[in-house]
Amino acid sequence: MLDNLNTRDGSGDAGRERPRRASEQQQPLVDREVPLGGTATSEMINRWLDGEGPEPVGMNADTARQVDLWRRIEEESERRRRMVTPAHVKAQIMAALPTELPQMALPWWKKSIQVSPVVALAAAAGLVALGAAIGTSLRIR
Amino acid sequence: MKTTVPASPTDQLEADQDIISRVLQGNRDAFSVLITRYSDPLYRHALGMTGSPDVAEDILQMSFIKAYQHLAEVRGRFDAWVFRIVANGCKDWLKNIRRTHLSYDEDDQPSGYSTPDEELDRTELRSDLDKALLTLAPSLREAFVMKHVEGRSYEEMADLLGTTVGALKMRVHRAREALQALLEEKYA
Repeated sequence: MLDNLNTRDGSGDAGRERPRRASEQQQPLVDREVPLGGTATSEMINRWLDGEGPEPVGMNADTARQVDLWRRIEEESERRRRMVTPAHVKAQIMAALPTELPQMALPWWKKSIQVSPVVALAAAAGLVALGAAIGTSLRIR
Repeated sequence: MKTTVPASPTDQLEADQDIISRVLQGNRDAFSVLITRYSDPLYRHALGMTGSPDVAEDILQMSFIKAYQHLAEVRGRFDAWVFRIVANGCKDWLKNIRRTHLSYDEDDQPSGYSTPDEELDRTELRSDLDKALLTLAPSLREAFVMKHVEGRSYEEMADLLGTTVGALKMRVHRAREALQALLEEKYA
């Protein structure tokens, strides 16, 4: 018999299930830490769908049904793969493009900056204060 | 105006760089070549991720406008760069919106099915698949859409997403596992 080593809930009670938090219940199915149970897609089907193996044949009824399901999903995927952008969208994008041309990327030291007089005065005052503070500290030493 | 996709990746890179140079020199209309060349796979990605044609169109439009504004910053492949803009747009949309039901309402694509029963069955599967896809975490949904809907190879996906083939296989397998769990009771 295996010991229950999961004591994260603090109960230490192997027979009692920890109540699930609301946040856990709202998580998407596949984001949960526990593995999905019951209907694991077989390695054979994954290899077939990945184009790395042949379509599974001569298998049990469960696998045959899974193969049939994936064949239907593939038909639907194939239909979606043929979808094209609606014709009006391309013209719509061109019409929505800004009239000004895209700017060439300049390195930061070549870019111009705009500073208002208030900001410039505040920066100057800050620098004077900093200089005075450094000067004072040097004189004290 | 040349709109076909060049043969090799190197040709493609050079052809795209040429168009980008033309746009930056003032030929705004040359940008339409890039839109024509890459909009279809990007639209399919946005549609697969959001499940809504209207949202997919909006994301595509915003992404191309952003790409135009920052065109001078393109380094390397334009298609990979603009894909990242679209992919981020989709993820932002998924983060910001909570929707209870989404489906592919437009049905003007040729179906290839002949009988009404088959058509009904197909429409139902389509709707159920959309609902099931919406339950997946964005990273799994993205991997599934790129693999199955866009038909990309794992190597191409790894290149575009900046991750490993092994990690992407894991995401696709987990997405399949989750989708199968949700759909097999009804369809298998």
